[in-house]
Amino acid sequence: MRRQLRSRRAPASPYGYRYRLDDQDEVNQNYLADEEEEAEEEARVMVVPDLEEEEEEEEEEEEEEEEEIEEEEKEEEKGQGRPTGNAWWQKWQIVNEYLWDPEKRMSLARTGLILVIYFFFYASLAAVITLCMYTLFLTISPYMPPFTERVKPPGVMIRPFAHSLNFNFNVSEPDTWQHYVISLNGFLQGYNDSLQEEMNVDCPPGQYFIQDGDEDEDKKACQFKRSFLKNCSGLEDPTFGYSTGQPCILLKMNRIVGFRPELGDPVKVSCKVQRGDENDIRSINYYPESASFDLRYYPYYGKLTHVNYTSPLVAMHFTDVVKNQAVPVQCQLKGKGIINDVINDRFVGRVIFTLNIET
Amino acid sequence: MGKKTLEIYSVELSGTKDVEQTDKEDGKERYRGLKNCFHSKKDHHTEKLKKELDLDDHKLSIKELEKKYGTNIITGLSSTQAAELLAQNGPNALTPPKETPEIIKFLKQMVGGFSILLWIGAILCWIAYGIQYSMNKSSSLDDVYLGCVLALVVILTGIFAYYQEAKSTNIMSTFNKMIPQQAFVIRDSEKKTIPAEQLVVGDIVEIKGGDRVPADIRLLSAQGCKVDNSSLTGESEPQARSSEFTHDSLLETKNIAFYSTTCLEGTATGMVINTGDRTIIGQIASLASGVGNEKTPIAIEIEHFVHIVAGVAVSIGILFFIIAVSLKYQVLDAIIFLIGIIVANVPEGLLATVTVTLSLTAKRMAKKNCLVKNLEAVETLGSTSIICSDKTGTLTQNRMTVAHLWFDNQIFIADTSEDHSNQVFDQSSGTWASLSKIITLCNRAEFKPGQESVPIMKRIVVGDASETALLKFSEVILGDVMEIRKRNHKVAEIPFNSTNKFQLSIHKTDDPNDKRFLMVMKGAPERILEKCSTIMVNGQEQPLDKSTAEAFHTAYMELGGLGERVLGFCHLYLPADEFPETYTFDVDAINFPTSNLCFVGLLSMIDPPRSTVPDAVTKCRSAGIKVIMVTGDHPITAKAIAKSVGIISANSETVEDIAKRLHIAVEQVNKRDAKAAVVTGAELKDMSPEQLDELLTNYSEIVFARTSPQQKLIIVEGCQRQNAVVAVTGDGVNDSPALKKADIGIAMGIAGSDAAKNAADMVLLDDNFASIVTGVEEGRLIFDNLKKTIAYTLTKNIAELCPFLIYIIVGLPLPIGTITILFIDLGTDIIPSIALAYEKAESDIMNRKPRHKKKDRLVNEQLAIYSYLHIGLIQAVGGFVVYFTVYAQEGFKPNILINLRVEWEDSNVNDLEDSYGQQWTWYQRKYLEWTGYTAFFVGIMVQQIADLIIRKTRRNSIFQQGLFRNKVIWVGIASQIIIALILSYGLGSITALNFTMLRPQYWFVAVPYAILIWVYDEVRKLFIRLYPGSWWEKNMYY
Repeated sequence: MRRQLRSRRAPASPYGYRYRLDDQDEVNQNYLADEEEEAEEEARVMVVPDLEEEEEEEEEEEEEEEEEIEEEEKEEEKGQGRPTGNAWWQKWQIVNEYLWDPEKRMSLARTGLILVIYFFFYASLAAVITLCMYTLFLTISPYMPPFTERVKPPGVMIRPFAHSLNFNFNVSEPDTWQHYVISLNGFLQGYNDSLQEEMNVDCPPGQYFIQDGDEDEDKKACQFKRSFLKNCSGLEDPTFGYSTGQPCILLKMNRIVGFRPELGDPVKVSCKVQRGDENDIRSINYYPESASFDLRYYPYYGKLTHVNYTSPLVAMHFTDVVKNQAVPVQCQLKGKGIINDVINDRFVGRVIFTLNIET
Repeated sequence: MGKKTLEIYSVELSGTKDVEQTDKEDGKERYRGLKNCFHSKKDHHTEKLKKELDLDDHKLSIKELEKKYGTNIITGLSSTQAAELLAQNGPNALTPPKETPEIIKFLKQMVGGFSILLWIGAILCWIAYGIQYSMNKSSSLDDVYLGCVLALVVILTGIFAYYQEAKSTNIMSTFNKMIPQQAFVIRDSEKKTIPAEQLVVGDIVEIKGGDRVPADIRLLSAQGCKVDNSSLTGESEPQARSSEFTHDSLLETKNIAFYSTTCLEGTATGMVINTGDRTIIGQIASLASGVGNEKTPIAIEIEHFVHIVAGVAVSIGILFFIIAVSLKYQVLDAIIFLIGIIVANVPEGLLATVTVTLSLTAKRMAKKNCLVKNLEAVETLGSTSIICSDKTGTLTQNRMTVAHLWFDNQIFIADTSEDHSNQVFDQSSGTWASLSKIITLCNRAEFKPGQESVPIMKRIVVGDASETALLKFSEVILGDVMEIRKRNHKVAEIPFNSTNKFQLSIHKTDDPNDKRFLMVMKGAPERILEKCSTIMVNGQEQPLDKSTAEAFHTAYMELGGLGERVLGFCHLYLPADEFPETYTFDVDAINFPTSNLCFVGLLSMIDPPRSTVPDAVTKCRSAGIKVIMVTGDHPITAKAIAKSVGIISANSETVEDIAKRLHIAVEQVNKRDAKAAVVTGAELKDMSPEQLDELLTNYSEIVFARTSPQQKLIIVEGCQRQNAVVAVTGDGVNDSPALKKADIGIAMGIAGSDAAKNAADMVLLDDNFASIVTGVEEGRLIFDNLKKTIAYTLTKNIAELCPFLIYIIVGLPLPIGTITILFIDLGTDIIPSIALAYEKAESDIMNRKPRHKKKDRLVNEQLAIYSYLHIGLIQAVGGFVVYFTVYAQEGFKPNILINLRVEWEDSNVNDLEDSYGQQWTWYQRKYLEWTGYTAFFVGIMVQQIADLIIRKTRRNSIFQQGLFRNKVIWVGIASQIIIALILSYGLGSITALNFTMLRPQYWFVAVPYAILIWVYDEVRKLFIRLYPGSWWEKNMYY
């Protein structure tokens, strides 16, 4: 039936017809379409001619053409809309046909229409999401996050840190510890006394450094000078003790906006052997000697206004550690409001690392 | 033509001639049918058949038989011989059709559908862990767990599907239970009762009325033996059996009784010539199991759908695997992405949902007397475009009923409805009094005792169909027939036989003053008329002249033309002087007159259509379903019933009708003018497949008459060549190949043989055609609803997939985890998608054409595109908004999230800065990530509620459909919310599940998007309704 119809149409556009026939047959095969199905399809299209389609009084041929275009364009839509259809080869053929056929100029317009509609659909979706996100940000203060429970209690991190919490080095081989020194030096650049004195204020110790005023006012930051770290500042001993087998490790507490340790009870740091013989570490020196984070460094007002905020540090100087064996060390924060025994999170209020100093 | 009718309709009571004629006509066809089947089968079948055809036991004399089987017809086989033969040939039972081993069935469930994809996912998980393990011995076991969960999901859904299948098979196994049969056999010169299974070839068996024939038997002697071959041939006419060889064909000759047929009356002795699978029926049964089961349309649809989804999953998976690798991700990461994409794309719960939906419908249909054996057949019925229906029992009530009476030169109509209650014809005439007496007295049928409380029409009667009809007819009108018979004592009787073609009895009258005997006679009308010289009109005897004879013929023709079986009735009061009270009647010598009787009237009977059938046929017609009647009956009867039930509509004509109307030859009629056609088996036999195709396409109303059950197969194949989905009803064993071949085979629950029930996909418990139509309705509804379910389920796949794609490309922390996805697919979404099965139809589904097998797909482009690219994307956007809200409110604004993935997931980074300069440990971030999962999950869940509501309809507005009409939907919505609440607040503390307790306000972030989905879909439906046939409808209606 189809063939008959076609052959009737053939003289009208013999060139296009030829190509179409070949392609269509292949497509037919792909879709396992049978003649009857197509006949029915044609019948349907004839009964319900397309609304926005050209003049209806045009011949049956024309209608058949339309129908084919429609098929075409459905596929086109599929091909474009769903970037990874189930059968690539099918798509390839359709695209191929699309590119080939001179008669398909119409379908360009149709495809165009679909593209426009999808464009508008997605554009409005994008507009909606933008609007939503915009209103969301209107409700969120840029200075203070709405919720901080997740990030509390504070976590702890140490320096030097190079993707590992195992400090393995050989005192007599500088190559094995040189990177720690470089890392520490780099980290402490921001703590240089000159820089701190220039940027930050020296605020009174032992009390919060509370700065009232508008939220959006820039906040001042308290000085934390490199020299506070004494022997671990790298000023006297540029190798931070690594060359003598007495490594310095700096400990810092994670910043949390608005976090205030208990008044009069600054957070202290204490380290001990985590597992094994306690005497593996015979002495640790802490700098500042109080081994605590002074209250004047709190609260933190957030990145936006508290630009120069310098995280306070506590340096641990392991002056006498057993050599040539791995010593697991656990450093904990102690103080009110500090939790240091969360099972799942080994960095909340504590940090565990191993020292393996070879001589 | 008139003459022919006369001949055929002169047959009554046992209708032997009728049967003979059928046999003659059908003899060859049956073979042809068989041969046709065998042709398409493997060679050994053909071999087998040939062997069977060579069997000539019916031609042999008894002596030759004895020699052949080494037996003796007096003493039978010896026990030792029998035991030997039994050991050699096996028991006399049909081998049950080869069942797929349970374990294979189970494994099939494990690898079917999406299971393969999920297995791949699971294996990839384990491979990923293997790689991790080889790099780092202490790597986390998460991937192993995920792999196990995926495997568990596959196994559980597999077990579920297997269980469902097993359950529906179990329904059937009750049918298979047969009462162990006993056979009465002569062995060692003794009569013994042994289980029929132990019969061997050569055994001499005795059968009597009511027995089932225990094997193929060559009759050696018979007394009034009649068998019902309906289980073999589908014709329920009793057939006489004798020891004479009457036909060359084994199937037609009278001296063979077939296994599994029933002996209706009489007794016979015969020799077993075939046992077990070598019996004719055994061969047909094995033939049926040889006909491949066609895949059900819904199975094809689901496969198509699985292909689409799997195709999308695999191609997106591979595409992004390549993208991930080219973005310099590690292969390990790329594998994990692949797993995520597969899990997100596969609707894990869907196939189980479909199974549940189908079984819900199957249950509903079982309530309406359609017992579905194969779950998928539920839908097949809905897509049926041609129903080939039996006549007897399915379209008709399967009992002869008096339809018309003719007396006093007038035709009266009797009530043929199921309860017979309303007999309105004129009963005042004297002729009726006489006629009723003849009807009552000249009748051997009796009610079985003890049925006084049973309605008359339902009482069980001993006797043949016509006599039963007459008995019930007279009982309804006259009251206690047995009492009347008692009062009119029967003194002599000549039962019906095929040579006389009449039945006669002589009674004393109940009038004590009248000493005459009354002779009553009924039989073939023209035979009765021959014996009459007078006719009773208005209670008065008048001489039978030419005009009254003419009137008789006109009435006879008219009733015969209605396809009814006509009986003539006459009587004679024997003169008291010649026949005194003490007279002894000798029925053999016939010492009484049997001519010059008084003709009283005609009575015609038909197996009337069931009262619900015409409606059902009309429904089928408006539903675009072609109903074809296939019957073994005479064309005229078939046509009459077809007309009365509407299979041939009132205004359509056959070629013959047109010829008759225009008084031209049949050949001159333009065949295109005729809409209806009545085709006999004989004509069908001579048709080429092309001619049959032409017949099936050109005529919309077709009746096949006088067909053998084997020809059903040819008809079914013809219909299937038209691309139709064919439903076939059947009851005989011979129907089973056609039942198997059909897209949906429907066996009769009451009249059907076990073989037919086995071969069928569906069993009609009440044998009623109307039940098929309700089944069709349910089937169509389920197709629509499955579409909705699938659209609902597919939608969220995009919302689950997008997070992975964004995660890979933009490097956000993972918005939703694989486990969480599984909780949506197998948790919150399950009950709602089942709830859609309870949705009512949007419009009258019986007013549209059956769906086209290859065009109206379950999952079409429009559905996929609309679900994936419209609603799915809105959902994804909604989900992301919730996700971003959670992250932003915790400190991570979207801009900082971009490309944060690597650091975010590095467990060594424990001071990652957020937008506010706060520093997060790895576990804190992880917890936030899970909160994000939960938030995204809740976002999808909230929007799925909207999705569920919009999927209630495809074209109508939700408000037209009624928001609250389907209560189950609300159960589904409640279940969704409750499961989500439990997951978040109940199980939020179990870290392995990756759920956290979500702040209450986050539950509402996606609500605007839910509303957007609803509004968007309402707009879509509005445009579809406003502009039917438009570009919009073509692209947006799924």
